[in-house]
Amino acid sequence: MGKKRKVILPPDLPPEVADNDIEVSDEDLEFIGQNREYAGFLTKLDTKSIDRHVKRVAGHESDDLEALYEQRKRKASLLKQNDDDDKLQVDPVDALPVKTLDGKLEYRTVDRTKSEAITNEKDNTEENEKDMSVVKLTKKEKRLKIKKSRKEAKKEAKVEEKGNVGVEKLHTEVLAKVEEDLSAEELFRKKKIKLAEIGLQLLENPEENIKSLKELLKNCDDGNQNIVKLGLMSLLAVFKDIIPGYRIRLPTEKEMEMTVSKAVLKQRFYESTLLNSYKAYLAKLIAMEKKPSLRQVAVRCLASLLDAVPHFNYRENILAIVIKNISSPDDTIRKLCCNATKSIFLNEGKHGGEATFEAVRLIAQQVKIYECQLHPDSIEVLSSLTFDEDIGKPDTQAEAVKIKKKGKWKTPDGSNKLQGSEKKKTRQESLAKTREEVTADFKSVSFAPDSRERKRMQSETLSAVFEIYFRILKHSTDSHASRSTTDAASFSHGSSSLPLLAPCLKGLGKFSHLIDLDFMGDLMRCLKQLAGYSDHGTIQNPLSVSERLQCCIVAFRVMRNNLEALNIDLQDFFVQLYNLLLEYRPDRDQGEVLAEALKIMLCEGKQHDMQRAAAFIKRLATFSLSYGSAEAMAALVTLKHLLQKNSKCRNLLENDAGGGSLSGLVSKYQPDATDPNLSGALGSVLWELSLLTKHYNSSISSMAASIMSMGSVNPAQSQVFLSTASPLQAFRDSSILCELSKPTSKSATSRQKQRELQKDYVLMDPEVMQNGNLVDEDEVRRKLEDRFAVHKVITENERLRKELNHTLSSISLYEEYNRQKKQKRKRTTKRVLGD
Amino acid sequence: MAKKMGRRARKFAKKNLQSVMKRKRKLNALFQKKFAPRRAQSDSPEESKNLKNDMQTPVDPEQEILDGIVSTNPFGDLFIKEDDDSAADASDSDGYLSEDPECPYISEDEEESCPEEMCKDVVLLEQNTEINQRLKNQKRKLSKLCKKDPQFSKFLESRRSEFLKSKSEEIYSDDEGDTSSMDDEYIVGNEISQVSKVITSSTVDVWCWLVMEQPNWPGLANLLNAFRAACHYGLDTGEVSPVKIANREVFCKILTFVLSEAKRIFCGLLRISGFSNKETILKMKNKPEWKTTRSLIKSFLRSSLFLLNQETDNQILVFVLSQIRLSILLFSAFPSLTKKLIKISIHLWVTGDKDLSASSFLILRDIASEFSLDNIDTCLTKGFGAFIANSKFMKPQNIEHIEFLENSVVELYSLDIQKSYQKVLMSVQQLASILRLALKTKEKDELKKIHSWQYINCISLWVKFVSCNYKNHDLEQLLFLIIGVIKGIAHLFPGPRYLPLRFKCVKMLNQLSFSSGVFIPVESLLFDCLEIRGTNNAEGTKLKHLDLALLLKVPNQLLKSQDFQQASVLSAIKLLAEHLSQWCYHVSFPDLATIPLILLKRFHENTSIESVRRPVKRFIDQVQQNSDFIQRKRDEVSFSPKDKESVDSFLQLEKCDRSVAFTKFYDNMLQNALA
Repeated sequence: MGKKRKVILPPDLPPEVADNDIEVSDEDLEFIGQNREYAGFLTKLDTKSIDRHVKRVAGHESDDLEALYEQRKRKASLLKQNDDDDKLQVDPVDALPVKTLDGKLEYRTVDRTKSEAITNEKDNTEENEKDMSVVKLTKKEKRLKIKKSRKEAKKEAKVEEKGNVGVEKLHTEVLAKVEEDLSAEELFRKKKIKLAEIGLQLLENPEENIKSLKELLKNCDDGNQNIVKLGLMSLLAVFKDIIPGYRIRLPTEKEMEMTVSKAVLKQRFYESTLLNSYKAYLAKLIAMEKKPSLRQVAVRCLASLLDAVPHFNYRENILAIVIKNISSPDDTIRKLCCNATKSIFLNEGKHGGEATFEAVRLIAQQVKIYECQLHPDSIEVLSSLTFDEDIGKPDTQAEAVKIKKKGKWKTPDGSNKLQGSEKKKTRQESLAKTREEVTADFKSVSFAPDSRERKRMQSETLSAVFEIYFRILKHSTDSHASRSTTDAASFSHGSSSLPLLAPCLKGLGKFSHLIDLDFMGDLMRCLKQLAGYSDHGTIQNPLSVSERLQCCIVAFRVMRNNLEALNIDLQDFFVQLYNLLLEYRPDRDQGEVLAEALKIMLCEGKQHDMQRAAAFIKRLATFSLSYGSAEAMAALVTLKHLLQKNSKCRNLLENDAGGGSLSGLVSKYQPDATDPNLSGALGSVLWELSLLTKHYNSSISSMAASIMSMGSVNPAQSQVFLSTASPLQAFRDSSILCELSKPTSKSATSRQKQRELQKDYVLMDPEVMQNGNLVDEDEVRRKLEDRFAVHKVITENERLRKELNHTLSSISLYEEYNRQKKQKRKRTTKRVLGD
Repeated sequence: MAKKMGRRARKFAKKNLQSVMKRKRKLNALFQKKFAPRRAQSDSPEESKNLKNDMQTPVDPEQEILDGIVSTNPFGDLFIKEDDDSAADASDSDGYLSEDPECPYISEDEEESCPEEMCKDVVLLEQNTEINQRLKNQKRKLSKLCKKDPQFSKFLESRRSEFLKSKSEEIYSDDEGDTSSMDDEYIVGNEISQVSKVITSSTVDVWCWLVMEQPNWPGLANLLNAFRAACHYGLDTGEVSPVKIANREVFCKILTFVLSEAKRIFCGLLRISGFSNKETILKMKNKPEWKTTRSLIKSFLRSSLFLLNQETDNQILVFVLSQIRLSILLFSAFPSLTKKLIKISIHLWVTGDKDLSASSFLILRDIASEFSLDNIDTCLTKGFGAFIANSKFMKPQNIEHIEFLENSVVELYSLDIQKSYQKVLMSVQQLASILRLALKTKEKDELKKIHSWQYINCISLWVKFVSCNYKNHDLEQLLFLIIGVIKGIAHLFPGPRYLPLRFKCVKMLNQLSFSSGVFIPVESLLFDCLEIRGTNNAEGTKLKHLDLALLLKVPNQLLKSQDFQQASVLSAIKLLAEHLSQWCYHVSFPDLATIPLILLKRFHENTSIESVRRPVKRFIDQVQQNSDFIQRKRDEVSFSPKDKESVDSFLQLEKCDRSVAFTKFYDNMLQNALA
């Protein structure tokens, strides 16, 4: 050992091998202790590189000593080789990278040392790494043993490692590098496993292990962001699972003073721990939400908590954060928040509706604060709200109402909450009657607040929702007025300045039946202004065609639900629709909105004024001449509806000289009039239909044909034509995709019966073709001669090259020949010598 | 019999004519070497292709192109099958005919003393002399070495024979296939031992005269051999030809004479008046003369094909093609040669200049119309494939060529509608399914497929096909499918960036509507461009001429430019005029024009581009005028819209006269566009 020490002594040598990565069996250590000749396998190592490293690391260690040492070892190795067979095989492999290391190594060694020291400290090993002495071996042994007891063997490959201190130096360098990577990874994995273990324990038995929550929480303070994320996520999973289905109320002081049973104590402890940890957890999340790097995770946790346990304590805090992020520019965050909010709206049973109200209130605040400059999604969520007017009503009656409603008007969004105001009264009567028994039922089934409470909550929510909508509308009209003078270029992007208008209109359309009559007048005024059409074209209206159509639709929806109560002239909206038909552009505007507008404004509702009906009929016919099949089909369906309802308008189908008598004010049709009442359409004839029968799309041409034949049929028989298709349906049915997927037949039948080849040219001019074929023969002859000459030269060239190559190769062969000759001579001389 | 002879001769040669074989092999070996310098000189792709063909490399550039389409182009792979021409090539081993020994040879010492006299390639000449110099030096050196060491020459000899032995093994393994396939070829076993005869110009004159005088003159074989040699001139494949062409006049004379007189010669031999149709060929096959003429004809055709393959000059090619075309029916007796001819013609049709393209198209058309169904199929498939492969890019230079190709494909497909309908339908359905996928997924890759010249050209090809043949055939289904596809394309690419593409769609729709008489509304597709508003006089990037026909998508920097707006408005007006002109006699014209008029008037009021004001105003006036005219006319009539016959007969008289002002306006517009 003394020998060895001389060699290894350099005090500033790096510490030995990566401790936590290397597993050494006791046998090995013992073996090392007993066999000092182990050094044998050094012979197989690259001694040069070892020398180099030793010198470099150890500084000015005497070379002589080393040389001596090496020599002795080599001799010894011859004897000892057998004993260390397996080590011999392993160690060189481990040491291999040493050969490739160059001067840079020095730095690395220092680095490794440091990092290793850190890890070692973490592992609570108290050794002083820098002190390398004989004593060290034993210390090391001890430490290794401790380690081993703590973890299971993972690095089999390294098992053989320990042995030689001399080799260790090498290993230190090699392995230190590997170790750094591994240690980080290892640590990460360890922590991960720990997280999982704690989590599992908690899930298995939350009562017993509730304290572990704190430990988990501690993990979330880790420096490593990944660990933090994992910690947050596992806490989320745990909380989602163990949070009880009720709100925890911490005992008051009075209650605390009371003596209670052990079980209650335990329960109290459990609850308070849970609540405290939850609080801490939320605090952490809320804090992290402010850090950009962790925001996504934090929001994800908050959103899923809101989704899973909206009834639990501290919901308000979560909601606040979630709503704050509902208009986040980050798509994922926004989506998470929107979905969480939607789930709040949709699963009111979970929290009894309180959260809904809170959320809506918060959204309203947001809208107010940001002056309507939010992402459309944040308003979109409101459309998943449901307002149950049947609270406290027996199921049977509610169902009966639903069926009735379905028969009358089908709403596209499938909501069955539309209510006619006339039904409200009867409903309220029955509500009073059956309240008692229903409340009893409710109470027995759920913990939800009684219906009166719910009703109150709903009306509050509703008013908050309409507050939002009206605010947006107001803002839109204001900015509309202020923007009407601005640049025309913004026309096509008009909606971008009013991001919330579209979802707002959609929502208004959906909840139109719930609007308070007091607001109605203002609302209609707003809508009229927004949909406003001016004679100077579209330029002055920053709203897109779809949005304006939507305004009309909303207005009609609202009106239809409150027909009796209001007497507002909708004429303006008809004027707008009449003109918007010209503004509509396929692919830019939503065709479905147009179809819906046609349906609501023209197909449904009461009878139209004849002038107006005629004007629309004419315009729709003209419209279908210019637009694609889907739009045309929707228009034709509407046209048919109008004709059915307004039998007098069927005069348009006939070229009747007396048609003009009906026309009233304007006797001649004015196609570019902006007011349908002034267009004089009654005096026109629907010539369009004759062209439409030539339409390539067979359904349109047959539709046009069937419309044409309506005029001649006895009005009494007109029932035959009652088609159930709505414009919207017609629009969807003839969309391009549907058109493309029509089947086609497999063969073409020639109009000329017998199959014969068509010898005539169909496209090209045969004379031109023939003329193009004339070639100047002299020119060709000249070119042929040229060709010959060129080819002759080329052939000559080839021949010469061939020969040249041939000769050259022959000459080059001469050298080979000479070599062979020499060899032969040598061989013969050798043989002669051998003899 | 012939087969046996060929094989026996070969065996004999193998056994007894060792030295000859050796020489042959040597030549073969060196032949491969010589290509290195050769290829460097010939940079034209055609020549290198021919070289490759000659060496029977399996990869053939044309095939590669087709393969390329198959892989890159989902709609190009329609009916391109794996074509196994390589097998046919192999079986078509070419050989000389057995000659008439009696044939007169007038020897005359007119061997060209100075081949350089006509050659303009000075570089090559210089190179030749230089190499010659070097060769002399090296030879001197070698002989010195040999002299110095006599044993070396022996060594050299042994090395060379060793080398050749290894080479020959390879060659023989190849040759086995050849020998078996040499049917009906009178291979002259001892051709190699023959000293090649020199053909002088007087010999050729005599031969020509004899051939013209006596149809059955046996020396025709010699003439054809000479023709073959001429065709192969400059590209000897190692075999020694029995004839040697003395000078360029002889070369020229042989080629032009044989090519231009072939029809007459063979007609005379077969005693028929001409190759008017397929039946004569069938009849001819049964004639006793056929047996003797068959090999002669084959040799002629094969040599001509070889020439076609080899030649690079367009005019010579046109000449050869036009001469071959006269006797094209001869090909129908040789299916494998027909296949080759199709391949070559398609290649020339696609790559050649205007005349060459036209004459190769004529060949293709003849084959498609006269030959068996099998060949029509090949023509259609390959023609379409080649068109697709060549329509990837549109440039000002090739726009005409692509149009010609498109027209030619339409011509080919129109020959037999029954047959081609399936193919066209399949192709259009494939296009439709690509479109469907794109409409559903809206993925970038799918959109890219559609937004490509290949797709658009393919569609426009079938649009042309349908509009050419709609009148005589029942193509309604196809028509509707194509309309659907075009509408889908227009729908898939909204926005001003894709206006050029949209204009193309509208143009195609107009074309279809015009030929089929169905009404296709296109107006709404054009309204968009009345609403583009850019920054006025932006950036001052004035382009000389913005040709929307060459674009599918407008580059971003042009999007806001006034040039683009102007160009798009004008194109829109043109297309609108096209659309309206079709219905300008229809009773509902005023209604059809209502919306465009309203929008155009508004545009005219608001536009800031002065340059388009005038044409727009003119257009509005014309449309208004016609609208008023129809309005007046229809106020006079008493029938109703549902009275179909009366509606159809409305203003038919004027329609025939084309007397209405709007028609004149439109015709004027077209002429202006052409000018």
